[in-house]
Amino acid sequence: MSLLWWLIENRQTMGPFVESILLVEDDHNDEQLLRRAFNKAGIAMPVKTVRNGDEAVAYLEGESPYNNRAEHPYPGIVILDLKLPRRSGFEVLEWIRTRTNDTKLLPVVVLSSSSVAKDVNRAYSLGANSYLSKPYRSAEFMELAQKFRDYWLQINEDPFISPNVSA
Amino acid sequence: MASEQRAPGTILLVEDEPADARLLIRAFTRAGVLNPIKHLFRGDEALAFLEGINQYADRREHPLPILIILDLKLPGMSGLELIRWIHLQRELRRIPVLVLTGQKDDKFIEAAYDAGANSYLLKSFAEDEIDRVVNLINNYWLSLNESPLVVNRK
Repeated sequence: MSLLWWLIENRQTMGPFVESILLVEDDHNDEQLLRRAFNKAGIAMPVKTVRNGDEAVAYLEGESPYNNRAEHPYPGIVILDLKLPRRSGFEVLEWIRTRTNDTKLLPVVVLSSSSVAKDVNRAYSLGANSYLSKPYRSAEFMELAQKFRDYWLQINEDPFISPNVSA
Repeated sequence: MASEQRAPGTILLVEDEPADARLLIRAFTRAGVLNPIKHLFRGDEALAFLEGINQYADRREHPLPILIILDLKLPGMSGLELIRWIHLQRELRRIPVLVLTGQKDDKFIEAAYDAGANSYLLKSFAEDEIDRVVNLINNYWLSLNESPLVVNRK
């Protein structure tokens, strides 16, 4: 039995299977705060950052320059800002949920500086799994990182996504 | 972060196993959760509650929940059918739906996310494990996560 097959067969006993996190965030400062908090929280999986909505779509599609999956692994979860250059976070969310392959199942956690009901509602309507308000202080980023880790990387069962297979 | 000054919103729990429901509700109390928990046994009953029909017509008495926790195997209407129905409703589809079930097959996990579930959790039977899951639900969904605004129109 190949290692890959063994992993697939045994994934239930191995728990959640998030291999990388795709962070869609145009603000370098927010990215650094989040990365630092994730490191302190002991999150070991790679966090890949893209800067706008178009790049997020290209990353998920595995289009150049993201076509090497060893370097740009398909994410187990996406953290998505809403106010982005080019395609907005809402548009990325809508794009993800209207795919005909497994990408439509991808867990997406919105992380936005807006906590206006209009934005929160719209994100849920478009299929966000969760909506988090962007904190301002690093202590709050730390709390967010720990709760994110405990929930999405530990107890939540993720869909097993093979992005090239039609659902 | 979410600052909740209002009265805590209702959690809808749809679970047909009385023993499982009892353990869960007890764990929520132990975790210090103040949100009222509305427990229903059947899928079709949950639909009536969410739609605000029959005995649930008075929204002041039966407010819409801020969080739905449901099993997949339910009498009347399955959990998957219920999630699909919720996702066809303009307002209700915003409410986070957590599946809490004993089904650990990948095909159920996939079907649940495809139907519109926000998260999928496996049911545990040991009391300390139930406490752990409930604490994490509390820390994440009832404190960190921003709840949608769902208007009680009736």
